[in-house]
Amino acid sequence: MSDSDSEGGRGESVLARVVAPFVDRSVAERLLISVAAILLSIVVGFALVLVSGRIADCSTAAWTLPFTGIGFCYDPVEVYVVLFNGALGYPFAVGDPGLFNPEWTPFNLSFGLTLSETTLLIFTGLSVAVAFRAGLFNIGTQGQLVVGALSTALTVLALAPLLPAGPVAGVVLIVVGTAAGAVGGGLWGAIPGALKAYADANEVITTIMLNFVAANVAYVLVLEVFRAEGSSVVATRYVPEYAQFRPWLFPASSDFALLALLGGIAFIGALYYFVEHTPLGYDLRTSGVQAAAAEYGGVNAKLTTVRAMTLSGALGGIGGSVWVLMSEGRWMASIPDLGFDGITVSILAGNNPLGVLPAAFLFGVLKGGALEIGFRTDVPTELVAVLRGLIILFVAMPEFFRMIGRYTGVTGGGLGGADTVSTTEPDETAGGDGGETDA
Amino acid sequence: MNPAVHLDGITKRFPGVVANDDVDLAVERGSVHALLGENGAGKTTLMNVLYGLYRPTEGTVRLDGEAKSFDSPRDAIDAGIGMIHQHFMLVDPMTVWENVVLGNEPKTWGGLRVDREAAREAVVELSERYGFDVDPDATIAEISVGEQQRVEILKALYRGADVLIMDEPTAVLTPQEVEELYGVFEELTEQGKTIIFISHKLGEALSAADDITVLRDGVNVGTVAADGVTREELAEMMVGREVLMEPATSPQEAGERVLEVTGLSVEDDRGVEAVSDLSFELRGGEILGVAGVDGNGQSQLVEAITGLREAASGEVRYRGESMRGKSRRDRIDRGMAFIPEDRQERGLVMSYDLTENGILGSQHDPPFARVGRLDWGAARDHAESVIEQYDVRPPDAEAEAESLSGGNQQKFIVGREFERDPELVVATHPTRGVDIGSTEFLHDRLLDLRAEGKAVLLVSSKLDEVQGLSDRLAVIHEGEFTGVVDPATVTEEEIGLLMAGESLDDDSVEGAALHDAADDGADAGIGGVGADDEERAGDEEVDA
Repeated sequence: MSDSDSEGGRGESVLARVVAPFVDRSVAERLLISVAAILLSIVVGFALVLVSGRIADCSTAAWTLPFTGIGFCYDPVEVYVVLFNGALGYPFAVGDPGLFNPEWTPFNLSFGLTLSETTLLIFTGLSVAVAFRAGLFNIGTQGQLVVGALSTALTVLALAPLLPAGPVAGVVLIVVGTAAGAVGGGLWGAIPGALKAYADANEVITTIMLNFVAANVAYVLVLEVFRAEGSSVVATRYVPEYAQFRPWLFPASSDFALLALLGGIAFIGALYYFVEHTPLGYDLRTSGVQAAAAEYGGVNAKLTTVRAMTLSGALGGIGGSVWVLMSEGRWMASIPDLGFDGITVSILAGNNPLGVLPAAFLFGVLKGGALEIGFRTDVPTELVAVLRGLIILFVAMPEFFRMIGRYTGVTGGGLGGADTVSTTEPDETAGGDGGETDA
Repeated sequence: MNPAVHLDGITKRFPGVVANDDVDLAVERGSVHALLGENGAGKTTLMNVLYGLYRPTEGTVRLDGEAKSFDSPRDAIDAGIGMIHQHFMLVDPMTVWENVVLGNEPKTWGGLRVDREAAREAVVELSERYGFDVDPDATIAEISVGEQQRVEILKALYRGADVLIMDEPTAVLTPQEVEELYGVFEELTEQGKTIIFISHKLGEALSAADDITVLRDGVNVGTVAADGVTREELAEMMVGREVLMEPATSPQEAGERVLEVTGLSVEDDRGVEAVSDLSFELRGGEILGVAGVDGNGQSQLVEAITGLREAASGEVRYRGESMRGKSRRDRIDRGMAFIPEDRQERGLVMSYDLTENGILGSQHDPPFARVGRLDWGAARDHAESVIEQYDVRPPDAEAEAESLSGGNQQKFIVGREFERDPELVVATHPTRGVDIGSTEFLHDRLLDLRAEGKAVLLVSSKLDEVQGLSDRLAVIHEGEFTGVVDPATVTEEEIGLLMAGESLDDDSVEGAALHDAADDGADAGIGGVGADDEERAGDEEVDA
């Protein structure tokens, strides 16, 4: 880029400014890319919906291609409108001339469902992210969540009879129950951490295996010991109503509590502070990016591994606590795959705690929106899953958009072919040369 | 007759920087021309202009008197210019001849099939013509770094190069390979090729080049004939002031015992004993130099002392306290500073900026850490003070470590470790890759530390460095000290003998027999430390 200054490309400098966000890596860039990714995925998804709509059988076409009269069973515009609009509870009126829906309040059922998913994914996303920052790939958040959820349910059920029912007992039970979830998940996460540190066992394998162990041990325990009497599913008794997060403002059926979301956001802030502004966080991320340098800097690699996995497990465990105390009210065998979605959330967030919030929210919107599409349209849920996958796929490849940014940055400048070569080559060789280049 | 290459008034500006300022450079056909200068003097930029990577802001490139305008390296190659980068661009699993012809393969069947026989034939012929001893059918992964470099030269020759530009060609070579490279230079120039090589090493320019052009801050300071100039004069041209080639040491009272190593044995990563039953002591106010060919246990020795590797047996005592079971953290806290040999693996976190790197090792100590939180303001001040004192360029605490040149990375590490206020400094190759102006400064700082009564263990493959700075000089060979000598009186031949594993008894020192033995045994040894190498090929033993 710098090289072409001499050629006096004024247009180029303007263009450079436009393209710069794509080439530099900043928060703004990340947001821009995410929006571009969603738009592109919609374009691709649009075509997919049309094609499937052409293959499917229906009596009346939901959408007709303008000027051609070719009919399609599914209306791609409606699909995406419902997906995003519905996830928020229709702030924009459907079919009405007015854009904004005057009846809309944020405290509706659909938005509650979206935020409920967001809240849970904040915890599992943070769990995966903190391990990632220490250079550890924790696939075991799901297992840690299962163990944390069971610890919470059993602790609250055991303590509840000892306290007089009421809001005070509720606060105590929620705090103690969440702490129990953190301890349970933390210990479960410490196992692969210790195995990695002291027995050189690959954490990817051990965490995956411990997921099965957690799920099945918990299943058998509940089936044989803690199963609620007369229950048709493998589940514990419900924890008392007063020991669950209150829905506040949102409808109870949304399984969402604002307090839990605020708690999750507080955890995001705390974890960000921990990673960026504490000596232990410095140790942790230094181990993650360059283990040999961390060791040189006096970081105890084994201890840091165990610490990071324990912290990661504790966050997964708290995710389980919130699932019990906010969503389900009890432990039951069919726990959703929140831990696995947490991996994608973390990667979308660039393993940055601050990025977990928008990433988890995107997942929440897709989840809430998918439910709405199911209610409102004939589009099969499988197709909705494909559309969700497309959005995540595109958002997860920012490098692709950076490449487009760089490409348009060079060719869009109205420079000749020869200049294009001379402006790009130095950058490439400078990068390749590494070490000792002059100037 | 016109010079083969004439750079006429080349100016190259980058935003905010003038990398080359009105530089004239004339190179005669069939000569070897050294482009000498410190890190950041603009040598590589100038050569990139010649090679078509950069367009000059002003000035003209003339080949044989004819003005040329290169839009890309492709144009430069077509005009007979070849460039060999410091880091080779070869495909490891492919053979030598495949690499040479890659991209310019002779073809048959209307361009559909590579004519392997013709290609191989051409490479063999070319390699024989210049007396290159390279097996055309060996894969790149199988051959030595020196041979890889010759493959790069063959590549350039195959593409019709008459002028060869080499960027720091000796940086990755062993001393023996450096000698072989000089032989290659002769062979090439005899056949009419012209060679320009970039270097920041005086000795190299003096022994390999016919003419030397010195660049300083982007300006041509002068072009001199190699046989009409001394090291000191060249150094002064490069740095712009008089440089003391010999560090000025003064006698120093040895203080109390800081480090005591007894019967230390250390194993390398493969479990092979790398340090065997080593004993020595080091006092405050003393510099103990350790010389030796790389890979004779130096790495394991310093790692065992600094807490990065467990000793197999024996003991390290530091200020009277046994270090057995003491972690790296414990040793940092007790005042050990360590300049590691591998700066990009250990010494710096490459993706961190200098502020973050400045607290590596001190991240739990005040003033950077207070009640469990990091004070980034204090960290930044610290980084800026190191940058200023040790002349780290660019002077930007927010620059990422990986964006700095090797010499500047090294200066930052040295600065960080020295400013730790240590009692013991373990310095491994402290000036590797650092230009002579900064080397002089770092040497002075080492001597300051000594004057302050600190103990210094100096491991270096630069013989003049260990000899010039040390109070005592230990020579290591296969994990054992073959001798501890007085650096003021010992000769290079004697050190070479010791490095080759011979013992030095008093009789033979005086005897004439020594010199014969030195010629046989010590060639490798003297070469091994004499050449001031930086990123040597031998680096692989570091973490192997």
